[in-house]
Formats: sequence, structure tokens, C-alpha cells
Amino acid sequence: MASDVDTAPLVGRADLVKSVRSALLDDVAQGHTAAVFLTGESGVGKTRLLREVGAHLRDAGALVLTGSCLDIGDASPLHPLLQALRRFDAELSTSHTRTSSAVRALLQMFAEETAGPDGAGALLERVSRGLHLIAEGRPLVLILDDLQWVDRSTRQLLLYLLAGLGDLQLSVLAAVRAESLQGAHPLRRVLTELRRLRTVQVLDLAPLDRAATEQLATAVVGGTLPAEAAEQVWQRSGGNPFVIEELARDLRDGRDGLSDTLREIFLARVDALPQHAHTVVHAVAAGVEPVEHWLLARVVRLPEQELIEAVRAAVAHRLLVGADDGYRLRHRLVAEVLEHELLPAERSALHRRYAEALTSAEAELHQARLAHHWRLAGEPARALPAAVAAAQEAERLHGYAEAHRHWSAALQLADAPAVGPRTVDRTDLLRQAAEAAHHCGEHARALALLEELAGAGGMSTCALHIRRARYLAAAGRSALAEEEYRRALEADDCTPRERATAAAHLAELLLHLGRYADAGRRAREALELAAAEDGSVSEVVLASAALGFSEAYLEDPDAGLAVMRRALEIAERAGRPDDVACAYLHLAELLTGPLNILEEGVVVARRGAERVAELGLGRTYETRLLAIATNGLFRVGQWAEAEKVVAAALRHRPSGADAVELLLARCRLSVGYGDIEAADRDLDSVATVLAGGGARHVIPLLTLRAGLAMWQGRHDLARQAVQRGLTESRSDDVAILAALVWHGLRAEAEAHASRTVEVDRTAVRRLRDVAQRVARKSEKAARPVRNVVDGFLALCDAEVSRLDDNDPELWARSVAEWDRRNHPYPAAYSRLRQAEALLARRARVATAGKLLRESYRMAQVLGAVPLTSEIRTLATRARVALDEREQSRGGRDVTPVVGDELATLTAREREVLAAVAEGLTNKEIGQRLFISERTIGVHVSHIFDKLQVRTRVQASAIYLRNRRG
Amino acid sequence: MTEPVWGPVHRDIVDLLADHPADVPAVVDHLTKLQDMLVRLPPLLDSCPLADFNKLYLTITTTVLDGLYDDRFVDPVFLSRLDVEFAARYFDALRLWTDSSPGTPKAWSCLFERMRGPDARPLPSAAAGVNAHINFDLPFALVTTFDHLESEPVDGTDQHRDYLEINNIFAEKIPGLRRGYLERWQLLIDMVNGDIDDWYQGELVEYTRDVAWRNAQKIWRCRHDPAAHECERGRLDSTAAALGRLLLSPLGAFLQ
Repeated sequence: MASDVDTAPLVGRADLVKSVRSALLDDVAQGHTAAVFLTGESGVGKTRLLREVGAHLRDAGALVLTGSCLDIGDASPLHPLLQALRRFDAELSTSHTRTSSAVRALLQMFAEETAGPDGAGALLERVSRGLHLIAEGRPLVLILDDLQWVDRSTRQLLLYLLAGLGDLQLSVLAAVRAESLQGAHPLRRVLTELRRLRTVQVLDLAPLDRAATEQLATAVVGGTLPAEAAEQVWQRSGGNPFVIEELARDLRDGRDGLSDTLREIFLARVDALPQHAHTVVHAVAAGVEPVEHWLLARVVRLPEQELIEAVRAAVAHRLLVGADDGYRLRHRLVAEVLEHELLPAERSALHRRYAEALTSAEAELHQARLAHHWRLAGEPARALPAAVAAAQEAERLHGYAEAHRHWSAALQLADAPAVGPRTVDRTDLLRQAAEAAHHCGEHARALALLEELAGAGGMSTCALHIRRARYLAAAGRSALAEEEYRRALEADDCTPRERATAAAHLAELLLHLGRYADAGRRAREALELAAAEDGSVSEVVLASAALGFSEAYLEDPDAGLAVMRRALEIAERAGRPDDVACAYLHLAELLTGPLNILEEGVVVARRGAERVAELGLGRTYETRLLAIATNGLFRVGQWAEAEKVVAAALRHRPSGADAVELLLARCRLSVGYGDIEAADRDLDSVATVLAGGGARHVIPLLTLRAGLAMWQGRHDLARQAVQRGLTESRSDDVAILAALVWHGLRAEAEAHASRTVEVDRTAVRRLRDVAQRVARKSEKAARPVRNVVDGFLALCDAEVSRLDDNDPELWARSVAEWDRRNHPYPAAYSRLRQAEALLARRARVATAGKLLRESYRMAQVLGAVPLTSEIRTLATRARVALDEREQSRGGRDVTPVVGDELATLTAREREVLAAVAEGLTNKEIGQRLFISERTIGVHVSHIFDKLQVRTRVQASAIYLRNRRG
Repeated sequence: MTEPVWGPVHRDIVDLLADHPADVPAVVDHLTKLQDMLVRLPPLLDSCPLADFNKLYLTITTTVLDGLYDDRFVDPVFLSRLDVEFAARYFDALRLWTDSSPGTPKAWSCLFERMRGPDARPLPSAAAGVNAHINFDLPFALVTTFDHLESEPVDGTDQHRDYLEINNIFAEKIPGLRRGYLERWQLLIDMVNGDIDDWYQGELVEYTRDVAWRNAQKIWRCRHDPAAHECERGRLDSTAAALGRLLLSPLGAFLQ
């Protein structure tokens, strides 16, 4: 039942509709994603625009799914998507049976989903597969209204799909009420991060201007407006289309409306309603939208005919709208207006009728709605089981944030005096609520609930300490967590198994705190405890990893490796898949991390990946192991292989941190290859995922962004990325920081060399300060960490000297550092720079040639295109032959086609002339071509002679003319 | 056609506000550019009340930026996000004011309204800005930041320590608001209606910043409840606006 009163034209938004359409459909490349977020105040026409754009996109062949988010605080995870699917299912005619079955299959999948390890990620993957089937190759558009009320699961799904992780061509169009963003809404940060991406637009929907206001008012009135009336509409509406429409309607109908805000308009209209319509509107306001017709009928208890008449009246008074799936208030403000109209008793009676009606019939969001209505009906005892069921339902869909809210509601209900003491086990509620809070990151709340649980005597002392430690560690409060583990170990009621668990976790915690010796001691203790206790394989694996790493950091790598290998054997013998997977993961991390035994680490990671795939843990552990293999392969210089591995890993459509890790790995390869488009895309994807929260990975992201910008000659952008990184990096992560600082100094050095961007002396000073700080801190770090840092610091020193006298010795040191660690990429880069520095001094030209050839060979093997081309450029300028073939040609240049007038010039003279045409002085040309200023002077006079010119300008003109031809 | 909100620099300010700075260096850059524009506003050239606040805020943010470069804070990730989110609210208020939106926080509009008036003195103007920014914007900025970092406002954490470190920066940079003025401040503060308890002792900035932290904790607890959250926002806006109006009244002049 479409509302027949909604006839006002869409005014003043034609350009917007067009641009949103192209942003979401026409401009989206095959297989890419796009999003437009519309923000604007109430009544500015967001919903109307969504509808309009949706219709356009549907006509253009897109598959459009439409849903809206709910403002009841206890909604259920992924509700808007489910709603959109159900609506779509209802819309489909029988002729599209195939699509319809795909929709049903996806809905069925939601119905059957069960909570499991990594279930949340797997669910995202299944949703994207399901959507893929539904789309049948058509572009898919997801339209979401009232996004300010979006649940956390839906938010994560959107970011996952927009990051391209679902491998789905998808566009998202969503409306957000601007008022909601003014507070502390989580979408604020998400939108700030997203709006920087090329594929995302955040459009602020402004009120209409004067002319559009008049146009709309005229259209509603159906004739020209007197100037005075037009002025009044403009003044009173402030350009808000909703208000304009209503004011104009009043004018047309000869009503003397005094209301000029949305609220007043609604209030006046509610007052004018006939009695039954009044009842209907109140009932819908108390319900959860959309309120189905059958449900409304049971709640208002009017005879069918009277009910229909009442609904018609409410629609005619423009308070209610009807659609296939039920009734909605025309605007949520109506509910707020109505709230003050009912007596508390009337309101709770309405809720009771809802609850009773829903009890007898299954409906959408069943348990959540039941809990909601029973609670507001003042029946905590009946609301309680529904709240528990709703919490379990949310957990089934991995919506821990929503589950936590339902559990908390259940706890409150259980405390109500009306509820008998034995209806429900309160300690069980506390345990569930605490665990859900822990899972969704509400650490303080989880700890508070745990305290309450402790007070209720629901747990043994030891178990309590262990759990408290776990929550504290998750909250990043390591010192307190350590203390709790210690207390757990000292507790009298501690079972041997618990003791092993506590010791193993404590060891892991100490390792993260950098206290390697303590970690080692605790790990040994844990291993002893676990050895005496059958079935503590997980503890063995965890403790072995802690011991392995601590030995490696304390410079006894072989001992650490042996421990970890043994743990893997034990895990394999016991056969629990998770333990085996963890053991492989730790072993591979140990080898490729602190031990820097890269080749073996890669082999272990790949073997482990195969093994865990057999064990059915492909999505989680295989992905992580392959990420380790990829990064190892990148460092040893086997880029082609790394590319294959990362592609295989991404086939699992990972989400969250796993996905970010892999995308960064792939991006690193793309930056190395100089594939700017691919690198850009991966960086945008990572930024999209990170917009959802979390701060790890930001520095690697910015480092790559800087690296990419430098290959594009955008040293200013590289500088910005590094500056952002410097202000957001925790200084205890010295290795990551060292890489960032090197990028910063390199950007300044490149800016200096290319003269495209002014060198920023303040930036250089700051970068040098940070480099010094990193050096100081790394002195205290373990040997393996120091090794990595030293490599980057050598690069930093050398880049700094490039701003000044460019000392080849510093580059030689960097070459040695990276050769020693067997990292060919930075080693090749350092060789290039060493050669450049030598050539600039016109010293040891033969050595420079050798370095260039080595560097060239390494870069060729890697496939590092931009590096190779820099090497070639330098070789050409310095007349160094890069391979034997070229050498035999005697270093003849390969200058591109030149015109006749230049035919008489030698290759060298042409090079000089090209530099002259760039406006360089003889001195500058000398520096660039590694010959003396005087020799350049000689070349220039020869050029003048041959071209028969007298000035540099004339010579340049001839050069430019011929080059163009 | 009515005169644009920002007079001759309207276009410049609109263009500037179209961009949303995403890191601290960009925030400093933004504030610097804004300062250049504000001092060009007639009729008071160089004595715009908003410019008085903006200048102070620029100084403070620059010091924060230096602190980030110099490793002054324990958790720079937290602090830089907070700084960006904090500034975003000031820019939001300016944007709403530019659009003549009724949604402009009252805490800010009482200062913006004075832009044309000749009677505002620099110190009370700056103080009114500090008041709006800290008493109204800061708690929400804190909550958004914690939410984004998947952390939460807990006393005694690294983040809390870093947050309090900013007090020192304020203290360094606002000598005029320090002890010498304390008694007068208190006199003023005592006259404010509403949450007198909150304004009851200590130095203004330090104390209100602590109030902001506690308010953030309050908002944190009700952040999933749109109605309660909105109610809290209204309350903070009214309280800050009341204090702001008082600061800008003739009474405020006696601060200087």
C-alpha cells in the first residue's frame, strides 16, 4: 500500500541524484566497491533521496536491497540486512524462482548459523557468497536508512564488503541523521576515516535554497504563491523540505498553521486526528517498526473495517505510512511527540498487548521484541526468559555487543522485586554477561560483572583470578593481569591443570612485556606442570612458544628452536587441531621473526598451512601461516612466489586483522613492482577495514603509502604520511618506527635530489631526533630486534648524508647490513645509492659500475620495476653498461628517436642539450652526468657550433621542437 | 541576499572547512590557516573574539604536536586520535554556524555571536572558547576516541595519564588563567546556575578537564542508549553555554 499523499516532487536535488547514481553505478569499475553516505538533519529529505536513487539504480539494472536500522537499543545483529533480504524475497515474483531460492538460501543460512571459533569471520564470508549468488552478476546496491542506529555486526559487514574482501561488486548508499553524529557516535570516526578514500563520498545534504524552496512550495500549492507567502515559507522553514511541504499544504488548504518546526507540525496534526486514528498512531509508536497489520489489529482491537478506516485517516494526516511489510510512523519524531501524550499506564497496557500478541505468534526479531515489550509492560518475570533467548540468539550470530546488552537487561530484570529469587540462576547470568562483555571489548564492564560474580560466590578463587587476568590482559592492563596470574598460582584451590594454564599465560604475558628471562622461567614452570598433567597440550604449546621466543631473544636460538619443535611433536601426537595449528604458527613466527632463518621459516609456514587445511582450520590458521610465508618470501626476494601464496591465502576471504595483514603483504609486493593502481587499491582496502576501529597496522600502512608516493615522485605526500605515522606510533615498537623514519628521510633526500619539492628542514631535524631515539632504545632491545633496527638506521644515516655530501661509505655500510641479513631489496637499493655517491665524486668509477650491475641484477630478479628504472637512468647518465650485451656495444646510448636537426650531435651532447633545455646550469648538468663543469662547457660550445645558435634558449628551442616531432 | 556569515573571508573559510583533517599535523595546519582568516575579519581586525580563542588553541595544539614528536606521551595513538577528534568538533561547530544551522551547539554560538560586537575582551573570549571546547566538546571526543580504539576510559591508565599531561600544557600556555585569576574565576563560577558542584574548586582548566573526564565516563556508560545520550548532550551544552554567556557578559570583563 503505497502512500497516495506523497506526491510532492523532488526539488533541488536533481544534480545530487545524478552524481550519486554515477558514484554508485556508472563510475564503479568492474569488481570494485563504492559508497555514498548522506548526512543531514531531520526532514531534509534523506529517505526520499534514498528512494529516488534506489529507483534510478534499479532501472539501470542494479539489484537493490533496502533496509533500515532500528532505534530500539536491543536490536539484533545484522538486522538491517536480514530485513532487506526478507523484503526482497517478498517483492520477487515467481518468475524469478532462481534468484528467490538464492535469497531463501541466504536467509536459511542465518537461521542455521551457530556460534563457533572464528564464526564471525566465516559468517561474513558466507554472507558475501550468498549476496554474490543473489546478484547473479548484476551490480549490487545496498541501501540503508537511519544508519545512526546500526548495530556493530552490520557495521563490520559493511566495512568488510566495502574493503573488497567479499570479492563482490557492491555499492552502499546510507543515510545518517546529522544530529546523531554530534554526540559520541561511533560512526563519526568511521566516516572521518572513510571520507579520505576515493571510492567513498560523504555528502552533507543541505536545506534547500530560496529558489528551490519557492519551487517546491509552488508545486505543492499548485499555483503561484503571493510574494509575501513565499517569503514567509522561506523564513519559517529555513529551507527544510519537509517543513516547506507542510507549510505549503496549510496555505493551499487555507489552514493557518502556526507551526514551523517538525515537532510542532506533528503535534498539531496529532491533535487533529479522529479518535480511532489516534489510537492506531499511538499503537504504532509503541511498536517496533514495521508493525505488521495482523499485529496492529490485535493491539488496537478494532473491528477490521474500523481499523482500516483509522489507518487511512492516519495516513491522510501524514503521520503514518504503510508498506507491504507493515506500518511505520512517517517520521521518528512523531514517536517523541507522542511519548508525552500517553499516561504511563496507557503505555504499559499497549506494550502488554504487543507482548501477548507476539507470544502467540512467531514474528521477525521475535525474542528481542518480546523482551522489549514485556519489560515496558512492567512484567520483568516474563521479559526475563525472552531477554535470555535474545542474548543467545545474538551470540549465535556472533553479535557479542548485542548479546551483552541483552544479558545486561536480563540481569536487571532478574533483580526486579517482582521476579522470584529462583526463576533463574543469577550467577549464570553474571558469567554469561561478563563473557559477552569481554568478547565485545567492554573490559571495564566485564571486570565489574566478574566482581559481582565473585561476591556471589559463583567461582573458585583460582578460576576467578585466571579469568580476571584474562580480562585485564585484554584491556591492556598488563601489570594488573600479571598480578592476577600470580595470585591464581598461589591460590589454595588451584587444580594442577589450572596451575599449568596460569603459568603458561603468565609466561606469554611476560614475553609481550619484554621480560624475556622472567618469561622463560615461567614457561619452564608451566612445562613441568603440564608434563605432569595429561591433556594439557594447549598449555605445552603456549609455554613452549614463550620459552622459544625468550631463548631466541636471550641469544640461545638453538635451544628455543628445539623447544618449539618438540611442542609441535607433542601437539601432533595428541592430535587436537587447534594445538597443532598454534604450534606451527609459533614455530614459523620464531623462524621468520627473531631468528631470521627465513627460508626454513617459509617452508615451515607453508607445510603448516597444508597441514592445518587438512585439519579443517583453513580459514583461520592457514591464512595466518600463509601471511607469514608471504612476508618471508618477500624479504628473501622471491616475490613471484610470494604473490602466489598471498593470492591463495586471500581465497579464504579473511576478515579483520588477518585480512589487513595479507593486504599489507600484497601491497608491499605491489609497491616493489611499482604497480601503483594495485597498491593504491590495497591501501584503501586496509584503511576501510581499519576505519572500523583498532590502531595496530596503521604505521605499516603509512610506511607503504610513503613508499608508493615516492615512486610517483610525490615526496610531499610521502612526507605527510610519515608525519602522521610519527605522531601516532608507540615508540616501543622500534623496528616498525625505524622503517618509517627511513621512509621519511628518504623522501627528503629524494626531494632534495629531484628538486621537485622543497626540503623540509624541520622534518629532517625531527626525523633525525626520532632515529636517535630509536637507536637509543634498540640498545636495550634483544639482539634480533637490534639487527633489524640497525639495518634501517644504516639507511637513515646514509639518506641524511645524501642531503649533504652523500658519503658512499655510509651506503656501503647499509649494503653490508642488508647483505648480512639476506634481504636483497634494500641491499640492491643501497648499492644503487652507493654507486650514485661514488659517481658524484668521480671516484672509483669501476666500483660504481660493478655496484650498479649487481644492483641491476638483483632488481631484475625481484621484478622491482621502479628500482630497475632508477638504476637504468643512473647507468645511462654515467654511461655504465648494465649487462654484457650492452657492454659489447660499448655503452652506446639508447636515446629515443630524435629529429634531423639533432642528427649531428653525439649521444653525450644530446644528453647535455636535454639538460640545458630543462634550464639546468653547467654546474648542475655536471653533477647530474658525473662530469666536470668545464667539460660541460666544452660540450655546450660544440652544441652551439653544430646547431648554429648563440644562446641556450635557441638551443633549447631546437631540442624541444625536434623531440616533439 | 543576506550578508555571508564570515563577511569577506566567507569563501575562504567555507573552503577550509570542506576538508576534514585526519591527523595532528593537519589539524595544526588547519588552525593556522583559520587564524590568518579570522584576523582579517572586520570590523575589529586583529581583535576578533574567536581569533583570541583560535590563537590559544593553535598554540596548545602545536605544543601537543611537538610533544608527540618528542615522545612526551605514553600512548601517542590515543592522544593523536583524541586531538583530531577534539578539533573536529570545533570545526563542526564552525561549519554549523557557517550554515546558520539551529543545530550549532549553544556552548559555541554564544561566542560566535560576539564576533561582530566590539565589547569582547581577549581573555574572556579565549576563556569562553576554552569553556565550550573543554566542557562540551571534550567528553564526546573522548568517548568517540575510546570507542574507535576499542578501549575505554579507566582511571589510572596510560591514556588517563596522557590526558592529564595536557593539563600541564594548558597550564604552561595560559598563564593568564592561572592562579592570579583564580579567585575571580571562582566568584564567577559560583554564580553559574546548574552544576555548581562541578565547578567548585581548583584551577579552571585542570578542574574542568577532570570534569570532562568524568563526564566522558558518564556518557560512555549510556552511549548505546540514544535517548539518554541525547539528554546528556543537552545537559552539557546548556551548562557550558551558561558559563560561556557569563564569561562574555560585562562580568567577564573584570577578569582582565
